[in-house]
Amino acid sequence: MLLLCTTISLRAQSTPEYQLKAVFIYNFTRFVDWPPTAFESYNDDFVIGIIGNDPFGQALEATVEGETIGRHAIRIKRFQDVKQIDHCHILFINSNDPPEIKNIISDLNNRNILTVSDAANFARMGGIIGFFTDKNKIRMQINGDAAKNARLSISSKLLSVAQVL
Amino acid sequence: MQRTKTVFLVDDDIDDQEIFSTALGRADRSVNCVFSSDGIDALEKIKNELGFIPDLIFIDLNMPRMNGKECLINIKKIERLKDVPVYMYSTSADTASIAANMELGAVDFIVKPSNIHDLTAILKKILQNQLFLLCLFIVFFATVPAGIFAQKSLPAVAALKRLSVEELMNIEVTSVSKSPQKLTEVASAIQVLTDEDIRRSATTTLPEILRLAANLQVARAGSHDWSVTSRGFNGAPIANSSLADKLLVMIDGRTVYNPLFGGVYWDAQAALKENIDRIEVVSGPGGTLWGANAVNGVINVITKNAKETQGLSIGASYGSYLRDGFSIRYGSHIDSTFFFRIFGQRWDYNSSKYTDGTYANDDWSFNRGGFRMDYMPSAKNQFILQGDLYGGDEDKNDSTQINGQNVMARWTHVFSERSNLSVQTYYDRTWRNIKPSHLTDEINTFDIDLQHSFKILRRNRLTWGAGYRVLKDATVSLANTFTPPTRTLELFNGFIQDQVTLMPKRLELTIGTKLLHNDYTGFEWQPSGRLAWTPTEEHTIWAAVSRAVRTPSRFDADITSFTLVNHPAFKSEEVLAYELGYRVHPNDKINVSLATFYNRYEHLRSFDTTGNPAAAVVFGNNLRAKSWGFEISGNYFITNWWRIRTGYTYLNKEFKLTAGNTLPGTKSIEAVDPVNQAMLQSIMDLPKNIEFDLLGRYIGKIPKDVYTNEIPAYFSLDLRVNWTYRFLSLGISVQNLTDDSHLEFGNREIPRSIHGRIGLRF
Repeated sequence: MLLLCTTISLRAQSTPEYQLKAVFIYNFTRFVDWPPTAFESYNDDFVIGIIGNDPFGQALEATVEGETIGRHAIRIKRFQDVKQIDHCHILFINSNDPPEIKNIISDLNNRNILTVSDAANFARMGGIIGFFTDKNKIRMQINGDAAKNARLSISSKLLSVAQVL
Repeated sequence: MQRTKTVFLVDDDIDDQEIFSTALGRADRSVNCVFSSDGIDALEKIKNELGFIPDLIFIDLNMPRMNGKECLINIKKIERLKDVPVYMYSTSADTASIAANMELGAVDFIVKPSNIHDLTAILKKILQNQLFLLCLFIVFFATVPAGIFAQKSLPAVAALKRLSVEELMNIEVTSVSKSPQKLTEVASAIQVLTDEDIRRSATTTLPEILRLAANLQVARAGSHDWSVTSRGFNGAPIANSSLADKLLVMIDGRTVYNPLFGGVYWDAQAALKENIDRIEVVSGPGGTLWGANAVNGVINVITKNAKETQGLSIGASYGSYLRDGFSIRYGSHIDSTFFFRIFGQRWDYNSSKYTDGTYANDDWSFNRGGFRMDYMPSAKNQFILQGDLYGGDEDKNDSTQINGQNVMARWTHVFSERSNLSVQTYYDRTWRNIKPSHLTDEINTFDIDLQHSFKILRRNRLTWGAGYRVLKDATVSLANTFTPPTRTLELFNGFIQDQVTLMPKRLELTIGTKLLHNDYTGFEWQPSGRLAWTPTEEHTIWAAVSRAVRTPSRFDADITSFTLVNHPAFKSEEVLAYELGYRVHPNDKINVSLATFYNRYEHLRSFDTTGNPAAAVVFGNNLRAKSWGFEISGNYFITNWWRIRTGYTYLNKEFKLTAGNTLPGTKSIEAVDPVNQAMLQSIMDLPKNIEFDLLGRYIGKIPKDVYTNEIPAYFSLDLRVNWTYRFLSLGISVQNLTDDSHLEFGNREIPRSIHGRIGLRF
């Protein structure tokens, strides 16, 4: 009677994959520190960019709506070409073509941008955070050296739940 | 002047109510909070108080009797409340249920934050946004339809955003179900066997089921004898049964240890496997709340509410060691408040063999029947009435006979969300006639207990109780006589315990004591202090210091034989236990628990010489001991079709004789236990409704002592395969798959056992 075993039954139902990934990306803003040089001013926008076709629909917008990071308002930008990327803090690379991915990463040239993708082996190709799905759940692979090169510090809390290369 | 806002909280958990009201007070001092303990209670309140129109309603999703969703539907039907914003909340959430609740008219879904600060922040936001929401509403209708997309998905996103990364990682992106378990943060070494853990094992009898708890030492001494203990002290076998006497065993609140020797006659204790809801096994003293025998542990067998066992279920088994088994259960109801079940079971076990291969002639058969009624006329009252009777014939020519009857009634009353009372009474009769040793023993027990729990001074939950037990035994024996042969023993007890929340959901202190009075030693104190620290939701660290006693049994104080003199001044055995534990569940898939202990025992029973050759031996209290060790157990949900339970226990001890006239072999009468033991249970769901389950156990060597043989280490593997097709299930179970037979305790070997089972369920 007094020692109770509460059984919490979670019946996890399907969540749209990119809605969940959008929330993950939003969460990264809390677990990653950008160097001061990544912003031009104290109230500069925080930019989440998508390169390639946009798989999120309205999910990213809905996630970041009304949110700020410190004094930085969050903006979503869509890019077609890496050369368009002027000001960006998180870049979601939607591509499944390894040479293209490698080109984008090398063109970014260690700028202070957190690169994210769900391409296979993204972190091994020099990207910072790669999503993959394991038994229907989202998992992450993090390339610590790539983060260091981009002068981003990732909190140990995030590292502890990811596979770190 | 500003009007006072009223917030209506519907939540069955008193702790959550407390945390919620504290957070609400911090968010806005002017808010008045009204509670209801569940959906039915809430609707009654709304119906009875027509002027009751709260400004905001918060409903917990998971509640007994009426869940949050139904409550929401019903509230939305009430005209005067249909515009009151309703927030659903829960400790965890999946997007489907969030979406479903939104469709039913909830404003938002709150995932209960792990700390009070986050909850305060959320409530503050909600209270401030009341006006803002209205504006948003107008803006929403004025904006372009394109905005609808974002708005529509927003609530679910909002809920997702409140989840931690770990929680996000547990959300599945396709539809699969899983059911992890969470133990409440109790500062004790508790292991819980769920009905599923039990069902998925090849076990048949109650003591066998207890093998699934890694913190128990369970040994089968023969076909119908077991020895079960926790943290050691399985006493040497006498007449092949154990003298283990430091465990409190209860079945639905009824104490089943025998006052004759303080141990349990396991052949007479049964529970229909399908009726067991769960078994809580606490290793370490439970003396403050539980009865007088909880020196080394407590086993609490809890059977299912009759509501959960409706319909007809029949099972028949046939096999080698378990020669035949049969069970039948029927459950029905009179209306939606009154449920009942009746059941019957029988089994027949073959004999075990001595090490030389000859039969020990301890084959036995057992029959049992019983009933349970659950009556829940309102949310505030619950009545249980249950009873059973059994009979068994054991050994060659049925020379040992056992039977017993018992009936138990319990009333639980909830005064308010802060206070509840439970009153329980039972009557129990057991009878045993062992012809070869000319022992007849009849015990009649009557017991009544009261327990009251209430919240006081914001952070304290006080529990107090009182109990009275009277038992009368008549013990006639040729070899050993009990002086006097009949005794009426009375036991009074009272306890008080305070659970203090030092930091909500973080730091809990539990202090309390039990005071009991028994006929042998008078008053005995059993205090304990426990501290549980939960730095994050995943980790709990706990520590405890407690004292418990074992009051003298008839065996200790009253036994007289040709060589033994009785010792009416026998003292209580005492333990002072220090415990330190750690529990972690890094994610839904894994939980691991570690408990360490250091126990100091005083006044343990010793065999002392009297110096008088006519009556050479007397029981004394001249043995001292310390024991130390740890128990580790884990659950691992590898996939949604494969789960593993595992455990390892290390136990060591040291004895010291405190008097010169104590016999050197005295410690083997107290304790013969393995140092190491490990257990692994694998539960696998294969396609086509096939269940494939394994239980592997390793029990380390028990060294030879003056009165005991060496028991070599053994490994045993049980296998269970079961196939279900609609109402039919066919299964085969093999116990002890890997060897022909082995010794566990005493001198009788436990053979391999194979049995098949047919089950029907309508």
